[in-house]
Amino acid sequence: MTQYESIIGLETHIQLNTQSKIFCSCKADSWLDAPNSNICPVCTGLPGVLPVLNRKAVEKAMLLASAMQAEIQPVSFFDRKNYFYPDLPKGYQISQYDMPLARGGFIDLPIPDSTGQNTTSYTRRIGITKLHLEEDAGKTKNIGGERQIDFNRCGVPLVEMVTGPDLRTAEEAAHYLFRLRQLLRWIDISEGDMEKGHLRCDANVSIRPVGVDYLNPKTEIKNVNSIDAVRDAISKEIERQIRETEAGQKIEAWTLEWDEDRGILKKMRSKETEADYRYFREPDLLALRIDDAWQNEVVSIQPELPLQRRQRFMNAYQLPEYDADILTSEKKLSDFFETATKAYPGDSKKISNWIMNDLLRILKDRNMQIDQMQLQPADLVEIITMVENGLINTSTGKSLIEKVEDSHQRPSEIVRSENLTRVSDESAIISACKEVLAENPTEVASYKAGKPTLMGWFVGQVMRKTKGKTDPEKAKEIFETLLH
Amino acid sequence: MELTPDIVKRIADLARLELTETEVELYCVQLSAILEYAARLQKIDTHEIPPTSSILPSHSLLREDDPVEGHNREEILKNAPAIKREQYQVPPILD
Repeated sequence: MTQYESIIGLETHIQLNTQSKIFCSCKADSWLDAPNSNICPVCTGLPGVLPVLNRKAVEKAMLLASAMQAEIQPVSFFDRKNYFYPDLPKGYQISQYDMPLARGGFIDLPIPDSTGQNTTSYTRRIGITKLHLEEDAGKTKNIGGERQIDFNRCGVPLVEMVTGPDLRTAEEAAHYLFRLRQLLRWIDISEGDMEKGHLRCDANVSIRPVGVDYLNPKTEIKNVNSIDAVRDAISKEIERQIRETEAGQKIEAWTLEWDEDRGILKKMRSKETEADYRYFREPDLLALRIDDAWQNEVVSIQPELPLQRRQRFMNAYQLPEYDADILTSEKKLSDFFETATKAYPGDSKKISNWIMNDLLRILKDRNMQIDQMQLQPADLVEIITMVENGLINTSTGKSLIEKVEDSHQRPSEIVRSENLTRVSDESAIISACKEVLAENPTEVASYKAGKPTLMGWFVGQVMRKTKGKTDPEKAKEIFETLLH
Repeated sequence: MELTPDIVKRIADLARLELTETEVELYCVQLSAILEYAARLQKIDTHEIPPTSSILPSHSLLREDDPVEGHNREEILKNAPAIKREQYQVPPILD
């Protein structure tokens, strides 16, 4: 049987998180707002109105372009893309066509091996062929056979970003979206939530025999609104194309729609050709000029990017790739780690373990973000230092994280006020152990008669007596001597 | 360039215009005349002149990202042919 490889390109639409819309001053974010509550004559396309470009939308698009290593163009233009649809009130979308905001660009995507560990097995460079600004359309809702239109979303700024046909598997496509979403949040230009439509994705898919360099006709998959759905839809489409090709069928350039509920692809209307859009320059807007001074001012606030920081954490702090990946999953978490590790030089892996094992669990349990925590990096370092110096035991240390959250006190204050320092005086532990044995003659008899599992119970009793301040290993040692 | 009735019908279709046969003939002539004029302009040597899409000052004015409230939804919705649940009601189309 022929071996096939799949060729995948992704077209993404990214909703920028500006306060106002791209060409008018209406509020951009209408989440939970009533329909048509953020509309005006400009975004509903009334006659005689003029668009005025939002500076922040341009700057956020510049930040993305620079993060993708694209070349920001000194001059770009807006164009009208003409088509008729009820949620597009002007009859055209203001977009960019032949003179876009940025050209070129790429991202080097680390693709983990499939064993479940987040270690990179290879890197795939994904080229960017298109990056431009445009306005979003409204929403058409189907309610009981009736069509109703909400223009709240109309005029919200979007960046359209299209990759080259550089992705080779459904898994790579999922990784691209994952890294893109991480980047959008990191540089604070979009919330990147696919379920809320902040990040939308269409996928172009074709297959070819391994070894050739031509491209076969592709199909376009629309309406996929989660990373898992993108992976599933592309996998299904690759399977279908291989099946049809093997059966001697030709693959036609269909547009397919992903049906999330049923997990199937459905054929949509035949693809409109590009010429049908009759692009022409938007006469209501002048050239967008970005001089060096403006570009430098915007790009200079660009933080270190997630994949760079991930690499640096591995190099500078000798962290395993798995740790570096998790610690750089979001910017504030990576800032927390770095502040802590600088205050506790020499053992970054210990800081990483505490964050990954304890802090992240607490954040998850409490459904909190790292920057909402009372616990500061210095507090974590203080806790770890007390554990390392033997002042408190590990379990007290772990419980201190929660106590800091609940009490808003520094860890050392809590240790002092609650008298949590570990009982290291051996004679105190021995007398506590003796008390336990004296109080529980039945258990002692069972233990001696051959029930060694009771050891854990004895240790538990001592921990209770000493309010958790005893080192359990030490108590076990003493019991073994006493019961010998 | 001489426009054929088929091309005029295609353009009308893209613009969602319904034309009578008489109109198609009329626009064949009129649109062809416009294209003929454009063709004459094309012959002028402009290779040293940068493309001019506007004669206005050379760059866009930008607006600060400050949301402004104050547009009355009811006023704007008055422009809708029909309203339901604060939304524009339209006939089912396409797909």
